[in-house]
Amino acid sequence: MKKRFLNIVAGCLLLASCQKLDIPPVDILTDDQIFGSEAGINAYLAQVYRKLPIEDFTYRPDGRNDGAGNIGFNLHHEWEHFYCEAAADGEMVGPYGGVDIAGGFGYWPYRDIRDVNYFIETLPEYAKNFTPDKVTSLLGEAHFLRAYYYFALAKRYGGIPIVKNVQHYPQQTIEELQVPRNTEEQVWNFIGNDLDTAYQMCSETNVAERANKYAAMAFKSRAMVYAGSIARYGSQVFVDGAAHSQGLVGISADKAAGFYQKAIDAAKTLEGKYSLYRAKTDKTDNFVNIFLDAKSPENILIRSFYAGDPERNHSFDATYSPNSDMNYMTAGGLSRTYPTLEFVQHFNSFDFVTNADGTPKRYNSQAEMAQGLEPRLRATVYFPGDVLRGVPFDVQAGIYPSFSGTAADEVAKSPGTRSYILSGDHQTTRNGRLIIGKAGMYPPAFGNDNNTRTGFYVRKYIDYNKGISAVNLFTSTTPWIELRYAEVLLNRAEADIELNQTSDALKCINDIRDRAGAPLATAADMTVATYRNERAKELAFENHYWWDIKRWRIADQLLSNTHFHGLMPYYVESENKYIFLKELELFNRNYAFEKKFYYEQIPGGELATNPNLYPNNPGY
Amino acid sequence: MKLKSFKILSLGVSLLFFASSCVKMDTYAGPDASLSGSVIEDGGKTNVQTCSGNFSIRLEQLSWDSTPSPQDIPVKYDGTYQNLKLFSGHYRVSIHGGAFWPVAPEEMDISSGSSHDFKLTPYLVVSNFKAEMTDSTTLRLTYSLSAPVAGIPKILEIQPYLNTTQIVGPGASIYDFSDLNKVAINKDWADFNAAEKNGEIIVSNLIPGRIFYVRMGVKFDNNDKSSNLSSVIKITVPAKK
Repeated sequence: MKKRFLNIVAGCLLLASCQKLDIPPVDILTDDQIFGSEAGINAYLAQVYRKLPIEDFTYRPDGRNDGAGNIGFNLHHEWEHFYCEAAADGEMVGPYGGVDIAGGFGYWPYRDIRDVNYFIETLPEYAKNFTPDKVTSLLGEAHFLRAYYYFALAKRYGGIPIVKNVQHYPQQTIEELQVPRNTEEQVWNFIGNDLDTAYQMCSETNVAERANKYAAMAFKSRAMVYAGSIARYGSQVFVDGAAHSQGLVGISADKAAGFYQKAIDAAKTLEGKYSLYRAKTDKTDNFVNIFLDAKSPENILIRSFYAGDPERNHSFDATYSPNSDMNYMTAGGLSRTYPTLEFVQHFNSFDFVTNADGTPKRYNSQAEMAQGLEPRLRATVYFPGDVLRGVPFDVQAGIYPSFSGTAADEVAKSPGTRSYILSGDHQTTRNGRLIIGKAGMYPPAFGNDNNTRTGFYVRKYIDYNKGISAVNLFTSTTPWIELRYAEVLLNRAEADIELNQTSDALKCINDIRDRAGAPLATAADMTVATYRNERAKELAFENHYWWDIKRWRIADQLLSNTHFHGLMPYYVESENKYIFLKELELFNRNYAFEKKFYYEQIPGGELATNPNLYPNNPGY
Repeated sequence: MKLKSFKILSLGVSLLFFASSCVKMDTYAGPDASLSGSVIEDGGKTNVQTCSGNFSIRLEQLSWDSTPSPQDIPVKYDGTYQNLKLFSGHYRVSIHGGAFWPVAPEEMDISSGSSHDFKLTPYLVVSNFKAEMTDSTTLRLTYSLSAPVAGIPKILEIQPYLNTTQIVGPGASIYDFSDLNKVAINKDWADFNAAEKNGEIIVSNLIPGRIFYVRMGVKFDNNDKSSNLSSVIKITVPAKK
């Protein structure tokens, strides 16, 4: 007995004896593994690029939380791409009740910035594992990434704390970690400097999804026109408050010219390196393929999407074309966001749909109306009668048994006194003809926005090569083009015009217009209105316009209890003709942008942990 | 059987309560303080004309934190405000928004039954506001504008507000009668002529047999694009004969 007891004790003691405890953890990657090889570096940077605040197809500016740790950006299993910026800024009308995205969603990516700072600080310790050139270009790339995060912060909040070193807790005190806000001007300069560093250090080329030195300059041209316009126009339109008087938001007007010049200088470095896409002879066809052809010489930085596991695809094709609950143009999904008349009026007044005497012009077919419009517009928007995947955009708002009088008088009538015939489904016919067509419009009070509310559908980025059966949710892998050369030319033209450098602006604008199939401009056209309009046309639905009308400080005028319009196609039975009426979009929603929205408020949770973030932005 | 399951259920519930009951007592006082008052036109005795959502009283509890999160009390359409669930303490009280000449924030102790009236000078005073039906469905509104202090922000627009309740104003009005009759102004007060200072607005195609509450407002290009408002008049549109 005693012996057995002793054996047990001895056994316990033996088993309890310590092996060596100081072993590398097996459940996390160590610096040795990450910085030991190019594969490790690529894996690390893949995570950083994945979290980069690129406003791609899946971006949700209303701040949807996917429950997997992502808010707004890079959401897991996101398909409702019609909740986009363009649906809140007047380019389109969509599921939002108005300007629902102006409050932001408290984007505060300092954890992701820390990952970049950690990379910048740690890579040099492992430099022996790589060639010196590789180390230099990787560090350059990290500076691009850091600038990208700060850009996403600056355009939302103005001045925010610049943190360029890894912070440590508890080694540093809480007071040290409560970094105060920098001024907005300091932040834009910091972004510009990081991008200069990236330009000097990055390699000439890189894979399409990662930045090379020209991506840094392309991005700098964007950042610097933002800063320039905030200095020039933000000093005219602003909300008073402590943050403004301390320079935490707003930049003094005399700094505008310097920023604009930096934008021009940055943009010029891409000359000869990138060019506008001109692979197809037909201009409409060509513009469509800019967004689909992976070999485009215009692409500077893209984000790829993939089929398979892990899931990294999107649903753009299935959420911007009509399904009409009968798999009409897609095999699943639904659409909810549609270009406005105000948007297409950037190209053309569309007054031609009305005769000189005020009566609506009669057309033989739906498709006849859009003949002769600018190819770029035809490539950006699907008009009634256009064909996709073998079926037409058969869009009708209704049928008039007969129509007399002027368009204006008809539209002014109250709905109950109009003689049109409407339908809430795609089956009801009148004399053998569908009342609203297979892709047409539900009556205003019907409350269904799964088909167009304006007469238009989006064409940009739609992959026309796919058959109907291949278009469903989570089947699209079209890459998102984050930086393309046309934007760089527009950044340059904008800065040129702001600095009265007319001839250089004309060169850029006409390069774009020639490719677009638009009439060429003259030197006299080089006005502020021209560069703004050109940008709205060329970069439509690419998540630029929202930020553009904010930084130009015109959003509060454009979205001042504004109601948007459509161009509604009707069939006139007695004449066997089509007419088009400019009417309020079917939901008649109100879009109101308050001046305080030019800056989002600093997130409340961050204010609570860091009192040095006060004062909050004006008006909040 | 029923009794047994009830017993098990009640035991379960009480166990749940027991397990979740908090040991540490909350000894903080409840929100027993209050603040109420009126917003009065400076030099006058009448409350300022406002509407829900137009402007608010901002409280910052300095005795809690040097950088407190603000809490706002909306000023009601009759120019009064109150909050009966405040914590006692020392507060900074200020006006947040509105078309008024700014007043400096005040610091005060708030306890049970505290009250404070604000004296504000509107950018424009809307007076002599009259509403008359000129025919069975057409309403004619007349008003006079005067600026107590020169140098006010640019005037953006003048518009009537119609609603079916007396809570009427920007954000609480019927679009077709209100926003569609908006008159764009976009100029400074100094450029107003006598006719514009004593203007009229016509609202047509009103619905017969309805009661509307109507007022008019002048919107400024100030921080929050807020408005000075007239008093509210109730009008009855005659029923169709």
